[in-house]
Amino acid sequence: MNSVDFLLWVRGPGLAIASIIFVFGMTLKMFEIFMLGRKKNLAELRGSGIKEGFRTIITRSKHADTYSTRHTKFTFYVGWIFHIGMFVAIFLLAPHIELFKSFLGFGWPALPTPLVDLATVIALISLLAVLFHRITNPVLKYLSVGQDYVVWALTFLPLLTGYMTYHHLFFPYTWLLGIHILSVCILLIIFPFTKLTHAVTLFFSRWYNGMMGGEKGVQQ
Amino acid sequence: MTGTTNDNLFRMTLDGLTVAQQRAVGARFIESVRDLSDDVRIDFAIKIAQDIDANDSEIASAFKSAKSAVLDCYTRCGADADWAMQAGYFVARAAGAVVKPEKDLAGNNPAWQAAMHCRMARTCAVIDSDTTAEQEETEQQHRILDDFLNA
Amino acid sequence: MSEATLERGLRALKEQIDTPIALFFSSCTHCGMCATSCLFYTETENPAYTPINKVEPMRRLWEQEYTLIGRIKKALGMSKPVTEADLEEWSEYAYNACTLCGRCTMVCPVGNDITYMIRRMREGLAAAGYAPEGLVAATTRAIEIGSPMGVKLPALQAQARHVEKDIGIEIPFDVEGAEYMMLMSSMEIMNYPEYLAAVARIFKQAGKSWTISSEAFEATNSGIQIGVSDIARELVNRVATAAEKLKVKTVISPECGHAYTAIRWEGPNLIGRSYPFKVRHILEVLDEFREQGLLKTEGFEDAKMTFHDPCQLVRRGGVIEQPRSLLKMVAGNFVEMSDHGQMNWCCGAGGGVSANEDAAELRMTAFKRKKHQLDELNVDTLVTACANCRIQIEEGLEENEMDIPVVGLTEMLAEHLVETDNTKGAQ
Repeated sequence: MNSVDFLLWVRGPGLAIASIIFVFGMTLKMFEIFMLGRKKNLAELRGSGIKEGFRTIITRSKHADTYSTRHTKFTFYVGWIFHIGMFVAIFLLAPHIELFKSFLGFGWPALPTPLVDLATVIALISLLAVLFHRITNPVLKYLSVGQDYVVWALTFLPLLTGYMTYHHLFFPYTWLLGIHILSVCILLIIFPFTKLTHAVTLFFSRWYNGMMGGEKGVQQ
Repeated sequence: MTGTTNDNLFRMTLDGLTVAQQRAVGARFIESVRDLSDDVRIDFAIKIAQDIDANDSEIASAFKSAKSAVLDCYTRCGADADWAMQAGYFVARAAGAVVKPEKDLAGNNPAWQAAMHCRMARTCAVIDSDTTAEQEETEQQHRILDDFLNA
Repeated sequence: MSEATLERGLRALKEQIDTPIALFFSSCTHCGMCATSCLFYTETENPAYTPINKVEPMRRLWEQEYTLIGRIKKALGMSKPVTEADLEEWSEYAYNACTLCGRCTMVCPVGNDITYMIRRMREGLAAAGYAPEGLVAATTRAIEIGSPMGVKLPALQAQARHVEKDIGIEIPFDVEGAEYMMLMSSMEIMNYPEYLAAVARIFKQAGKSWTISSEAFEATNSGIQIGVSDIARELVNRVATAAEKLKVKTVISPECGHAYTAIRWEGPNLIGRSYPFKVRHILEVLDEFREQGLLKTEGFEDAKMTFHDPCQLVRRGGVIEQPRSLLKMVAGNFVEMSDHGQMNWCCGAGGGVSANEDAAELRMTAFKRKKHQLDELNVDTLVTACANCRIQIEEGLEENEMDIPVVGLTEMLAEHLVETDNTKGAQ
């Protein structure tokens, strides 16, 4: 197979298959979660907790107390930097927006590509830092399992290959683009079966957290 | 001196004493229930409480030691109630009451506090059976006060 | 309790998994931030005490039973089953190194209520026979005798008589139609008779009717601590039945942490129905009295003092402002610890830890977190509203050679009651 055939396949049927598996997987995941249900709370509640649930979705993005503010600086700041960099790379690059437009029916303004390029570099560096932290920090070392490293790699590769593609680094452009899209396909396929589901489920888990606290009159 | 037959009168009489006297008579109440605890720190508190020349640092030291005795005897949450040991807890609390530094007394009477803790100690010692033990201890305390005032 | 086996344990664990728990496991990214919220981790730096790690066996079970990918992996022999050895190891993490204090729930960036998960993890551990011996014994006593510490009615009555003598106010038992029914923890009955004296004096001043039920006076719910819902249910039922029999309007939970969680928040869900009466913590009731002008105090303490927020009351219970409003009635020099109120640090002894002899040393190590908070503040007095916190703090202070008296809030308020015939005993 030559590079053009590969590229045509991966951005056509390949991406389609990956997307279908992604959507199927995420739908299945949400079904697996919500079919379990939650028993109605029969206690004399101080409130329904609904308002607090939504508030927690926002407030949980910042520190809760002075101790964790002092002691989780790395995870907090590098975590934010990585996520912002990654979102800029995914959603504010012109070619990506074109792709989204093709199946959403609408697009949005792009950032100048050199800026997205910078964001990508920042995301890549912060991911490397995150890996180093995971390997050296005693708590993270203890908690981490194979999946944590696999997911790291699957997140790193699209960013790296995207960067290489834009800069025509080392390999012919067609191959680079094909591999970049392939890395995204793999990510999409694996996504629903790993902790990457947090991208969607975190809104719900934060909401439940806030709601369960709000029932008791505590803003969590 | 009129016999302190009535507990209200007992309390009022105790309130009329000086702090040093309150400590001293409180110590005697503890002596009456001394058998309910085998902690030697109780004796230290009794000794200091009865010493009218005891200075602030000696009182503080006795208080600290009595507090340790209290913590050693309390029943842990969820542990099986050992009422004999609990009696010792209240004896230790009585000991703490009679050597509490004056600045921490906050208007409380060391003798009355000791009296109440000693009665509770006596109650604990016979918790499963006797309902009159506390009344008897109360009357004993009235007699102790009379003797103290008449001495 | 029926016979404990691994199979029963796994079944019990499986039953605990609901939508929130599935969401939480799906969202966890192994970021490790929960570790810094947990005093058992911060004071020992043992990574096994990281909160989310405390529920790892439940996560494995969830994956294997409730996710397609997990079931496939299991069928292919690619997944690790949860074994006896696992449950034995995790007993330490979930019982010795956790007080269900709730800080991890507040800190997790993806919003996991890890406390909720650990509470449910205990159901599986207990059913499999891996609950701590001390808790098992306490629970047995609670069911058979009516108190986890074996405090029987004659003992309570003896204490009540003693208190009546002290303050000259009657302690009412079994009064039908009283507005409030008072529960008491065995800890208070045994160690702090001044609590009962304090409530009697305050209620006399407020002119409110109250009673203790001779059939259900125990507030401590060992079933919640050990994590066996059947037992917790039985204990709640006793209280509910007694309250209904006496036709009281409100049941009062005393100065005890878990008692409030048990009777107010878990209770109705355990017995499967809402109560026809209200449940309030004593501080909520006292604060209501304060608002209605029924609580009259005089004088201010000029000692520099702070309040230790019992976890189950404040963070997990929602009674946050009331202790402060009440304290301000009598405290002239009140200061807050950094990280106070709903972010307060646990004392280290709740959730059954103090009843667990294996955890005695760890409990004292965990206390160092509270010590740090107090070192920063330099107070003369510490006020709290839980008998268990109180003893733990007193022990911890002694071990660390810190000289700070610890006082119960209700007791402190009673000491400042305005003197009238109503408050000081008459004949």
